[in-house]
Amino acid sequence: MSNTDIVSKLYEIVFGILDKVADAGKVRKKKGMFGRQSVDKESALRSNLQYVALSALRRLPLDQGNPAFLHRAVQGIACADPVGVRHALAMVSEMAVRDPYGVAMAVGKLSLAGGALQEVLHIQDVMSRMYLARLCYILSRARGIDERMDLRSQFTTLLYQLLLDPSERVCFEAITCILGKFDSHESSEERAAGWALLTSAILKFPDPSAQPSKDSSATQGSDGSTASNDSVAKFPKDRPAPRPRRPQPLIRLVMRRLESALRSHLRPVLHAAMRIVQEIGKSRAAAFALGMVINEDSVPENLIENGDIIKADSEVDGGDPAAEVSRTKVVPLPSSLAANSRESIASMLSNLVEGVRTTVACECFYVRAAAIKAMMWMQSPEESVEELKSTIAGELSDPLWPASLLNEILLTLHARFKATPEMAIILLDVSRLFATKAPGKIDSDVLQLLWKTCLIGCGPSGKHTALEAVTVVLDLPPPAPDALEVSVLKDHSSTSDPKAAVALQRLTQAAVWFLGENANYAAAEYAWESKTPPGTALMMLDGDKMVAAASSRNPTLAGALTRLQRCAFSGSWEVRIVAAQALITIAIRSGEPYRLQVYEFLRALAKGGVQEKLKEAYVSNGEDQGASGTGLSSIIAPMLQVLDEMYKAQDQLIKDMRQHDNAKQEWSDDELRRLYENHERLLDLVSLFCFVPRSKYLPLGPTSAGLLNIYRNRHHIDATTGFNDPAVATGIADLQVSTVTRIEYPPIQIDAAVPSPSDGLVDGIWSSNLAGVDRVNAYLGGVGTDAPEVEDDTATTRASVSYDDMWAKTLLEASDGEDADEQLSGSSSPESTASFETSVSSQFGSSRYPSLFGNTTSFGQNTRWEEEHRPGTRFGKFSGELTSLAEDQPSYVESSPANAPLHGTHWQSGIGNQEPLHSPSSEVPSRPSDVQYPEEARAGKALYEFTAGGDDELNLTAGEDLEIEYEVDGWYFVRKKRPGRDGKLSGLVPVLYVTS
Amino acid sequence: MLMSVLFANSSGNVLLERFHSVPGEERLHWRSFLVKLGTDNLNGARDDELFVASHKSVYIVYTVIGDIWVFTVGKDEYDELTLVEVLHAITSSVKDICKKAPSERVFLDKYGKVCLGLDEIFSQGILEHTDKDRVRRLTRLRPLVE
Repeated sequence: MSNTDIVSKLYEIVFGILDKVADAGKVRKKKGMFGRQSVDKESALRSNLQYVALSALRRLPLDQGNPAFLHRAVQGIACADPVGVRHALAMVSEMAVRDPYGVAMAVGKLSLAGGALQEVLHIQDVMSRMYLARLCYILSRARGIDERMDLRSQFTTLLYQLLLDPSERVCFEAITCILGKFDSHESSEERAAGWALLTSAILKFPDPSAQPSKDSSATQGSDGSTASNDSVAKFPKDRPAPRPRRPQPLIRLVMRRLESALRSHLRPVLHAAMRIVQEIGKSRAAAFALGMVINEDSVPENLIENGDIIKADSEVDGGDPAAEVSRTKVVPLPSSLAANSRESIASMLSNLVEGVRTTVACECFYVRAAAIKAMMWMQSPEESVEELKSTIAGELSDPLWPASLLNEILLTLHARFKATPEMAIILLDVSRLFATKAPGKIDSDVLQLLWKTCLIGCGPSGKHTALEAVTVVLDLPPPAPDALEVSVLKDHSSTSDPKAAVALQRLTQAAVWFLGENANYAAAEYAWESKTPPGTALMMLDGDKMVAAASSRNPTLAGALTRLQRCAFSGSWEVRIVAAQALITIAIRSGEPYRLQVYEFLRALAKGGVQEKLKEAYVSNGEDQGASGTGLSSIIAPMLQVLDEMYKAQDQLIKDMRQHDNAKQEWSDDELRRLYENHERLLDLVSLFCFVPRSKYLPLGPTSAGLLNIYRNRHHIDATTGFNDPAVATGIADLQVSTVTRIEYPPIQIDAAVPSPSDGLVDGIWSSNLAGVDRVNAYLGGVGTDAPEVEDDTATTRASVSYDDMWAKTLLEASDGEDADEQLSGSSSPESTASFETSVSSQFGSSRYPSLFGNTTSFGQNTRWEEEHRPGTRFGKFSGELTSLAEDQPSYVESSPANAPLHGTHWQSGIGNQEPLHSPSSEVPSRPSDVQYPEEARAGKALYEFTAGGDDELNLTAGEDLEIEYEVDGWYFVRKKRPGRDGKLSGLVPVLYVTS
Repeated sequence: MLMSVLFANSSGNVLLERFHSVPGEERLHWRSFLVKLGTDNLNGARDDELFVASHKSVYIVYTVIGDIWVFTVGKDEYDELTLVEVLHAITSSVKDICKKAPSERVFLDKYGKVCLGLDEIFSQGILEHTDKDRVRRLTRLRPLVE
C-alpha cells in the first residue's frame, strides 16, 4: 500500500466521522437534577468527535482541489469546540491562499450577520480569531469576488473589527494583514496599497440593532490570555447598545492600539509592537518608493472611502461634546492625543515614533534591537536623521550588545536601502556609527556590501560622502586594552578585547581594500577615460605641484590616496600590505598625475625614506619593521617593477614615434608587432594586480592607441582577447577577409561616463559575487530558522553535548561551503571565494564554541581538515595566484568600466596568503589520533542488531549493507542503502557492530 | 510552527525538550542558545515574568516557574504573542500538575504527568489546548465534554 493510498484511506475515515457528527451544532444544555446544568450526552459526544476529527484533518496534508475537504473544513467553523474552530479556520485560510474565490463562495454564507464567522469574534481562543483575520484578509482581496460587493464588505468589516480585539495577537495580525504583509512573498505594490488603505479606510460598525450584544461582548471577551490582562485597550464598551457607534478611521484605531501596547510592561508585547511599527514603516516606504501620494497632514475624518465623504460623521463628532468627553474618559491616551481628536496622520506617526524612542530604554536587548529597526523603518528620506543617529550611537556604546543582534540591525539597513535607494547617504551615515562604535562586533562582509550598494545607489553627488563613510574606519584608534575594563565586567573585557582587536583589523583591511577597489569608481577617474591630455604626464615631475594639481582636480581620489598612503606606513602589517595593493590598484587604474604620485610614494616606501622623514609621527606596533623600514619591500618590488616597465615602455614609444616622425617613416609591420607584443605583455602584468578592461586599457599611454589599432586591424585581432585568441595565435586571423567589423580603441573620452543608479544596476549588485550577499539576501527573503550560534564563552551548557554532534555539524558546514563555492564561481575568481571560505572558518572556527570544549582545540582542527581537502586553495596558492588571476581575466572582459569595481576579486583573495600565519586555529597543528578523516565511503555490513540510543544514532538490523563514511571516537557514521523502519538513512553506530 | 519547547533547571541542565522540524544537528545549537539566554537573564527573575528574544525570523519567549526554566521557540504564526499563549498554557498546566510553582524535585516526580500534559497542549508543532482544565481532563482520558 503506497503512501497516497494510506492518506486517501485516512481522509475517508475522517470524512466518515465528520459526516456523522458535523451537523452537531452547539452542545445542548439541559436542566438536570437539583437545578444543575448538564449537557446532552448525544451532542457532547458529537462535539468531541468533531473536534478530534478536525484536529486529525489539520495534520493530514492539505487536499487543495478536494471539494469534500473544503466543505468539511468550512463546516468545522461552526464546530462547538473552540479548538476545533481554530483548526477549521487554519485549514480554510490555508486553502484560501490558493483558491480565494472558491473559499469565499463557500464561506460566504457564514460571514453574514449572525453567521458562524461572526461568532468566531466571541470565541475565547486567541488563535481562532487570528486565523479569522487572515482568512478575512485573503478573501477580501480575492479577484473574482468583485461582483459580490456585499461579501467583500462583510470580510473587510470583520477584519477591521478584529482591530478592536482584546488580544494584541489578533489586533496585530489584523494590522499586518491590512498593511499588506501576509507572508514573505508580498510585493511592494501590495505593501504600498496596504499603507494607503490603512491611512484612508474607515471602520463602519454593522448595524447594532441586528446584533445588540455583539460589540460589547467582542470587546469584553475576557479570555485567559496573559497578553490581554493589563494592556487591553479599553475601547468604549459601556456605551448604550442602541446608539450607533461612530465610524472610526483605521489609522487612529491602530495608533491608539500601538501606543497602549508601547506602554505595556510585557516584553513580548513590546517586541511585537516594535515589529508592527516596522511593518508600518515598510509599507510606508513602499508607498514612497512607488510615488504614491498620501497626504500625511490630512485629518483622517475627512478622508474618502468608496467615494463618499463621511461628512455627517465628522459633524456628529464635532457637534457632540458629550461623546467627546466620554471618549476621553474611557480611552487612556496621552493628553496630546485625547485633547486633539482631529490630529493629522503625520502627528500621529510622530507620536508613535516618540513612543518607539522611549522603548529603546527597555532593558531587553531584543526589544531594543526591534525598536531601533522600527526607527530605521519609520525614518523618511526628508526628515532629519540626527535623532536616529544619536539614539543608535547611544545604544552602540553599550558594550553588552550581542554581535548577532547588531548584525541583524545592519542587515536592516540593507533592507531599508533596498526599499528606498534615495536614503543611501543617510544609511551610510548610520553605518558609520556601527563601524566606529562597535567595530569588533559587526560582520565586515555585510558592512562592506552595504558600502558598496550605497556607493552605487547614492548617485554622483553623494559619492564623495559615501567614500568618506568608509575612510572613517581607517581613522579608528586600535581598541585599547584598558578601555573596556573600566566600563564593564572584568571577565567580559579580558576575552573580548583581543577579539575586538582582530575584528577591527579585519574591518580596516576590508575598508582599505574597498577604498583601493572603488576609489576610481567613486571619483569617476579612469586611465582609459582620462581627462588629462596625452603627453602632459611626463612634464609634471615636480611632486608638490603634482599633488596640488591632483587634489584640486579630483578631491575624492586625492583624499582616498592620502588615507591609503597613511595606512601604508602606519597600520599593522596586514593593513599595510592591503594598503600597498590598494595603492597599486589606484595607480594602475588612474591616469596621471595620480599614477606618478603613487609611484613616487611606493618608491620612497620601498627604500624606507618615508619612514626616516616621518619618524616622529611613526607609531610602532611592536613588529619588526624589516630592513626597509616598512617590511613591505618584497610586496612593493613587483609593483614598482610593473610601473617601471610601463613608464620605460612609454618613454620608448615616444622616442620611437619621434624618430619615425623625424624620418617621415612609416611603421613597419615588424615594429608594430613588437609594439603590440609589448602592449599585451604589459597588459598581462597589470592584470596580475587588479582588474582592468583589456579592450580599453592602454599601458603604453593614450598615444599608442592609433598604432595599436593599425596593427590590430591589419591582423584581425580582437581587442578583448588579444593573443589569447587561438585564431590569432595560429595565424588564421590573418587569412580573414577584412570585412569583419573593426574593433578600434575608443577615442579618449573627455566626459566620464558615470552610470546612473538605475534599478538594473542596483539589482546587479545583489547578484554579484560577495560573501555578504548570501547573508543579506537570506535576511531580505525573511528566512532564517537555523539555529543561532552562541557567541560568548560564558554559557554553561549541559554535559550531554557530544563530540559527535559537533562533528556532524562541521561535516554539514563543509558540504554547504562547497555548494556555495560552486554557485559563486560564476563571475569572479573561484580562487578568491575558496580562500575566503577557509580563512573565515579558520579564523572563527576555534572561537565559535569555546565553551563546549574547554581547552581542547578539536573544532579548530576540523576546520583545518576542510582546508586541507581543498587542494591548492591554500598552500599552492602563493605561487599559483598570479597565473590563476591572469587566467581568470578573460571572464571579465565583457564588463564595462562602470561595473569594474563590482567585479573585483574579493579583498580576501589578496591577503589570503598570510592568513594562516595569524589565524588562531592553525597554531596547534596536531590532530586527535582517534579521528580518521574521511577519504571515501567504505562498504560495510551490520554484524548485530543495534538499537539507537539517541537522535544521531541509527538502528541496525543484522546483515544490512552499509556505507561507512567516517569513524569518530569508536563510532562509525554510516549510511544505509535504503531507509530503515524508522525512516532514518544515516547515523552513528558502534564500530564493533559493523564489519568493514 | 511551534519549533521547540524546552524545560531546564536553574543550572542550565535540560530536563525535558520537544522539537519539531528542527534537524538533529541544529538542536544542539538551540539548546545552548536557550540555556545561555536563561543564564543571562533568568537568574533573579520573578515567577512567570516573560522574556523575549528573536533570531532571524524565529521568536523565543521564555519564563521561569519555581526552579524550572521554560522556553518556547516558534516561527510564522507562532510569533512572540502566540508563544505567550503557549507558554501560559504550559506553565498553568505544569503548576496544575505540580500543585504550585515546581521545585526541580517535584517536577521530576511528576515528570510523566507533565509529559502527558505537554502532549495535549501541542503536537507536531501545532498548538492544541490552552485551557488547563481541558488538558487535565484529557490526560486522565476523560472526554472534553460530557
